[in-house]
Amino acid sequence: MNNCTDCINCNTCPSADKPMEEYIRRIPLETAHHRVEGQSTKCGFGLQGVCCRLCANGPCRITPESPRGICGANADTIVARNFLRAVAAGSGCYIHVVENTARQLKNTGLHKDKIRSEKALNHLAGLLGVTGKDKYDLCVKVADAVLSDLYRPEYEPMELVEKLAYSPRVKRWKELGIMPGGAKGEVFLNVVKTSTNLSSDPAEMLVSCLRLGISTGLYGLQLTNLLNDVVLGDPEIRTAPVGMNVIDPNYINILITGHQHSLFTYIQDRLLDDDVTAKAKAAGAKGFKLVGCTCVGQDLQLRGAHYTEIFDGHAGNNYISEAVLSCGAIDAVLSEFNCTLPGIEPICEKLKIKQICLDVVAKKANADLIPFHYETRQEDGDKIIDEIIEAYKSRRGQVPMNLFTEHGNKNTLTGISEGSLKAFLGGSWKPLIDLIASGKIKGLAGVVGCSSVAYGHDTLTAELTKELIAKDILVLTAGCSSGGLENIGMMTPEAAELAGPNLKAVCKELGIPPVLNFGPCLAIGRLEIVATEIARELGVDLPQLPLVISAAQWLEEQALADGSFALALGLPLHLGVPPFVTGSKLVTKILTEDMVGLTGGRVIIDPDGKSAANQLEAIIEEKRRALKI
Amino acid sequence: MKRIFIDPAKCDGCKNCSLACMESHRQDGGTGIYTLDLLDPRNQSRNRILSDGKGGYSPVFCRHCDIPDCAGACMSGALHKNMESGLVEYDAEKCAACYMCVMSCRYGVPAISPDRKHIIKCDFCAHLEEGPACVRACPKKAIEVREV
Repeated sequence: MNNCTDCINCNTCPSADKPMEEYIRRIPLETAHHRVEGQSTKCGFGLQGVCCRLCANGPCRITPESPRGICGANADTIVARNFLRAVAAGSGCYIHVVENTARQLKNTGLHKDKIRSEKALNHLAGLLGVTGKDKYDLCVKVADAVLSDLYRPEYEPMELVEKLAYSPRVKRWKELGIMPGGAKGEVFLNVVKTSTNLSSDPAEMLVSCLRLGISTGLYGLQLTNLLNDVVLGDPEIRTAPVGMNVIDPNYINILITGHQHSLFTYIQDRLLDDDVTAKAKAAGAKGFKLVGCTCVGQDLQLRGAHYTEIFDGHAGNNYISEAVLSCGAIDAVLSEFNCTLPGIEPICEKLKIKQICLDVVAKKANADLIPFHYETRQEDGDKIIDEIIEAYKSRRGQVPMNLFTEHGNKNTLTGISEGSLKAFLGGSWKPLIDLIASGKIKGLAGVVGCSSVAYGHDTLTAELTKELIAKDILVLTAGCSSGGLENIGMMTPEAAELAGPNLKAVCKELGIPPVLNFGPCLAIGRLEIVATEIARELGVDLPQLPLVISAAQWLEEQALADGSFALALGLPLHLGVPPFVTGSKLVTKILTEDMVGLTGGRVIIDPDGKSAANQLEAIIEEKRRALKI
Repeated sequence: MKRIFIDPAKCDGCKNCSLACMESHRQDGGTGIYTLDLLDPRNQSRNRILSDGKGGYSPVFCRHCDIPDCAGACMSGALHKNMESGLVEYDAEKCAACYMCVMSCRYGVPAISPDRKHIIKCDFCAHLEEGPACVRACPKKAIEVREV
């Protein structure tokens, strides 16, 4: 841990959020933004994906003098193998999330627990073709339908795929032979495939990425949202405060990080009970508040209409979590998944912030592990609450406060989902389709996925988004891209001023910003439902839509699994940095060119916001011409 | 005059210096590591990192020697010591591809070009104001430029 006291020579990375950049530069603690410079020398073989350390003969690296590894694997095999491994791991992450979410719904049904949206339950049951004796039985049946698909072996096709996916896509997937088997089995099979001296076929491995993409997208993304809607409540459109101004030091503040909102359900309700509030008051606080960070904060914000009392608001994305903790007013971190940075650990230790993990997959080194079990949730919940009160009592007054009350804004539009947006449009997609057809909205761009810092914190995401809206392209966001863009005001109605003349007029008429915030990365699945419903209404396939996806600042293996879903859907996918594949001409060509002939999708690599926006605009215009609009 | 100095004990064998050299001398007009063709023999690095056989590495860089073996062996005059800059310079136009320099260099620096018509050898990144790319790329500071 850097114990510097002199910030004059501190070199932190640039951020799209200038006030935050300045705040971080002055923090007397080390953050990811400080570590960027020290890690600025990258390994060129790693960047190109041609370092293989699958066996003890390695690591082998590809150079003109050594074009094959010791085993004989060439650059194409090494790159494809590394890429498929990453996609399989990313898929595993999202499948873990949907598995826990389905188990939560099942337990809710079995224990006749609180169901926040029967509408969402009936919608999902209808989609899956499941019936039940009553609403609780229906929860169990829906959850079982999902879980039994996840647990199928990979050689058995999953049953819900055809019910969830758009039929022209299913037809194409069957032609390509990429209908996925059991989602967990797919991860297992492909991890085996990429082990030492197993598959060496780059084309087959890339096709496997598409299959993993489909299981990740339909189950890990789309179904996780729909399952959560039942237990946690439907998103409702409203405005909310965002940024570090949401933190109120008069409360016992709990920062939540992760992706599994349903694991917090019990605690977040319990924190409002009179006996728990009384305990907080006895300790000297007004009560408890949850402060959002990473995707679970975005998800809570999305459904915030149901949680106005306990939820203070979303502070920001993964790469400001260290800054948020440094403000002194956070007493505990409750985490259950990524993106909980290891960098928070020394900060928590120094500022006496209690760390508790609810899922072993995200166990932090100096955190207590209290894994979520439905059966023991009450005693575990009370134990967690007592631990947090103790932390509050022992740290307040002992650690310095460094609040940042002017950060962020108070009027970010949130709560947008496939359901709430359609309702906002009057129960039909026709008004949006008409705006696209008339050219008032030139097209749609999903600017989704992560935040990264190596080349600037949210800088490319922000630049690209500004360029796109200036071209009258409506931007939809999901993931930590949302967290970065909302803190710089891109989701306030005033951001309409930054849009091109046509989009600006639409925004002003409807009172909406030019960037629509769907919340967490899981909600990439919601964007894809929106796209599918629009395509269905138009009677076209997804690749024909004037729609592009950008994971401009993709960070993790999960993003690569999501990206594989976008490719399987036939969508153009922009990435700011290549996914460690350029060492293979074959793999690069398949991803950036030949994929068009397979699914209709392709990868576009461009690190520059302006030229990337130009490329994406050209694609949208080409698709408009093909649709004769 | 400037020279590259090497501290083998600091070398981790990452080959960032080799990639930086390849990038600095690429002929395809491209820039940036992502588009550097790692399989194109024309992109061969002018420096090499060899195993020392004892678990460490021997970075092989041109020393631009005071009395260069390569220039001494060069019959065509393609290699010569520039007494002003201190560099051992190579003129490909004059090269007869006899490879005597390859045979003579005690450090094993000059290499035969893929088309076998020339040799390739460190030019101290004469085209770069900021000096040799390899030195700037080394994360361990195992190589450095010093005034001599």
